[in-house]
Amino acid sequence: MTNSFIHGFQSEWLKKKRSLASWLVIAGGFFTPLAIIIARLIHYEQLAVLYAKEGFWNQLWQSSWKSMAIFLLPVGVILSASLITQLEYKNNTWKQLHTLPLDLTSIFFSKLLVIIVMMIQFFILFNIGIYLSALIPYLLVSGVPYPKAPIPFEAMLKEDGFYFIDCLPIIALQYLLSLRYKNFLVAVGIGFGLWIASISALSWKFGYLIPYTYCPLNFLKAQNGDRVATPGINIHVMALGYFTVISIVSYIMYLSKKEKG
Amino acid sequence: MYCVQTSELSHNFSAQATVLKTINLQVPMGSIYGFLGPNGAGKTTTLRLILGLLKKQQGNIAVFGKSFEKNRVAILKNTGSLIESPSFYGHLTATENLVLLQKIYQCQKSRIQEVLHLVGLTATGNKRAGQFSLGMKQRLGIAVALLHSPALLILDEPTNGLDPNGIIEIRQLLTKLNQEHGITILLSSHLLAEIEKLVSHVGVINNGTMMFQGTLDELKDQQQKSSATVFETSDTMQTMQIIRNNNLVPELAEGKVSIPVVSKDTIAKIIQQLVNNGVEVYEATTIKNDLEAIFMDLINK
Repeated sequence: MTNSFIHGFQSEWLKKKRSLASWLVIAGGFFTPLAIIIARLIHYEQLAVLYAKEGFWNQLWQSSWKSMAIFLLPVGVILSASLITQLEYKNNTWKQLHTLPLDLTSIFFSKLLVIIVMMIQFFILFNIGIYLSALIPYLLVSGVPYPKAPIPFEAMLKEDGFYFIDCLPIIALQYLLSLRYKNFLVAVGIGFGLWIASISALSWKFGYLIPYTYCPLNFLKAQNGDRVATPGINIHVMALGYFTVISIVSYIMYLSKKEKG
Repeated sequence: MYCVQTSELSHNFSAQATVLKTINLQVPMGSIYGFLGPNGAGKTTTLRLILGLLKKQQGNIAVFGKSFEKNRVAILKNTGSLIESPSFYGHLTATENLVLLQKIYQCQKSRIQEVLHLVGLTATGNKRAGQFSLGMKQRLGIAVALLHSPALLILDEPTNGLDPNGIIEIRQLLTKLNQEHGITILLSSHLLAEIEKLVSHVGVINNGTMMFQGTLDELKDQQQKSSATVFETSDTMQTMQIIRNNNLVPELAEGKVSIPVVSKDTIAKIIQQLVNNGVEVYEATTIKNDLEAIFMDLINK
């Protein structure tokens, strides 16, 4: 079983080579940092003051995560998770996968793990991108000092961890939908619908019940205002709970499929 | 022992339509079994059930003498398959497609080049499989099925999309695999002519029912039995009597008298007797049904 899972995972990992999902992870990881670099180079005259500030890293972190938490991360997860299973539908390879000497549990969880590892890959690239968005303007614009304040590694890692946990329900639900529906647009359409609903429900006191709200909620928790209702419970625990429940339901649905290719 | 054996295998996709009716497929170990039938006869459904791609509803499936349900992974370790169109990842090269399968089968890496050589795809380099011609895709599908040196090959219409040369090559390859490596091959086709030079055993299915199962020689015996010598004469009744006098059983159809195929001497003797009795002989022909005609006869029953 363990060997079967490891071999299944290795095979799944190779499959995503040159796939749209793998390009999406790279593009998604560097999109916001690139936008920040361009914006800073356009307003290069303000950089000297900006880089000298005590709260430089915190400000950079917040501006990097702003579009990411609310828009890019949920949309990226919806697309990546759906594209991984779409590889099998598009190539008509479910039948081949299910005639390999792999137990169904290994097939299901190795695919899910590939999506999760891709997300970890995305977080690593995004963090590298954030650092580069600080470093490149410093290297290109003369007179800009290297930020004096130390990089708050611990706080960043903690926040990364929270965002990662918060996107797990999206991964689980998109995986379930993409296993259930052959048509890519169904899974993506439902995903986008839920994401829009989650944005609309941020100020609703029960908005946290929608499993796609946790990334924006995590970002907006530090913002004071009426834009977001503060959930009375720990959203990260909710996210983990949703992830577990949806994954179990998805696994049962997968096992009970009458046609496997 | 049979390599593949189904007992009373039935399947339906809806309550109204039964696709398979109590199929008892018996593929002997070491044989090349041709599973024949017209499109929609139930060939692919049977093969998908044998491979576990469809959830079994009724009956039993045993491969290598073991229940498929209880020994799925162990059976699939020794089984190679190609069902309907070939399966591979279009964004990867032929080698990359085989590498990801090699990870699962844990076979020697050298097998990748060996099977590519076997199917004539060594020169494809960095070309992505999605850009292959139909014939090349089919060859890659066969390479995928052969990668782990399986003891059983299940191929659904393996020569689809191949040119005449390709068909001959694949036929030779399958014969070689069977004879030199003892691989049991179960292959489906809707064309008897395409596989009659290849198979040792035949199963004919139509409308979900097994119409014939046996060796190719048994099918040829049936061919012999269904061949006939036909006489067209001026007096059919007297012709039938003369034939009966020769201890043969004549049949009358459309004004002609037919008998099972007999030797040339017997035909000459009957003609002579007919002429001696004043019966004019207009025509005496031997109609030999070919295997295709037998096949058509079986599926039109």
